[in-house]
Amino acid sequence: MTAGTATTGRTAGLHAGLRARVARWPRSAVFYGIVTAIGAVVVGEWLHVSPPAAYGLCSACHGRDLADWIVNHVEGKRLFITAAGAGATPLLTVVGLVIGAFAAAKRNGEFGSINIGGNLRQFGFGAVVMGAALFVGGCPTRIIIRTGYGDLAGLLALGGVAAGIVIATLGMRAVARR
Amino acid sequence: MIATFASLGLGLVVGYLGQRSRMCSIGGLRDFVLVRDTGLLKGAGALLVTAWVAFAVARIIHGTGHGLIAAGTTPSGLRAVVAIALGAIVLGIFATLSGACPLRQHVLAGQGRVGAWSFLAGFYLMAVVYTSWIEPSIGTWVL
Repeated sequence: MTAGTATTGRTAGLHAGLRARVARWPRSAVFYGIVTAIGAVVVGEWLHVSPPAAYGLCSACHGRDLADWIVNHVEGKRLFITAAGAGATPLLTVVGLVIGAFAAAKRNGEFGSINIGGNLRQFGFGAVVMGAALFVGGCPTRIIIRTGYGDLAGLLALGGVAAGIVIATLGMRAVARR
Repeated sequence: MIATFASLGLGLVVGYLGQRSRMCSIGGLRDFVLVRDTGLLKGAGALLVTAWVAFAVARIIHGTGHGLIAAGTTPSGLRAVVAIALGAIVLGIFATLSGACPLRQHVLAGQGRVGAWSFLAGFYLMAVVYTSWIEPSIGTWVL
């Protein structure tokens, strides 16, 4: 009986430890990368988010598709939408992103309206980033997924984005040190 | 219809995990350059490697060709290479200056950051402006 209780206690401890470890997985960037890549591939290859290749997840392109879909349906225009987002109902990836992040923040008590200023500057940055992202064919996340797909243009864009990040980071540090 | 629900579901999952892990596809390299922190860079690496493996598995399941480089993705000439590289450098610089990659800005917006909402306002305004006026005038010569 003693041995039995000891074993049960150890198993329960093992289970608790395992559960604690699994509960920490969402905090890991590596877990995010694995789940996101698998999800993007499954959605892109089997769930009809496909005609451009490797189109499973992109915040810029899907946002463009949604915005243009709304403009086309409300204003009756004929703006460009990729075949994936041109159906009777639009792609809702960006809406899901915001709602998912809101749910996570609410659930863990991290939600709060924070205004650190510089909103007009952020507005301009948003416009430039969207223009550049549509020009090279995807937001940084989709550029990484495209590179995984074997897209040479994606690999080139990934190198360019990396160079831009290094330039901007070193530039900001130089300005801050002066 | 399937695409709508699939993209909404993927967005919910990625948004949830993105909020928990604070993952940002440009933040990895930025943190590494600034403070030699590799946490987020590992996430970007995992994204790249998993996408590579998963696309290979998908090609095996579909029974399609298994080349390392996908067909029809090679830039058409020097002009296209320079255009993509310059566009990507501009994207990297301005995304870093704004503090996060576009996907992370959506997550921050869901978290309640006001700056992220004004980022998204410019973002979607530019999407319509780009497809209305800029894209027709430059055409699709980039690829």
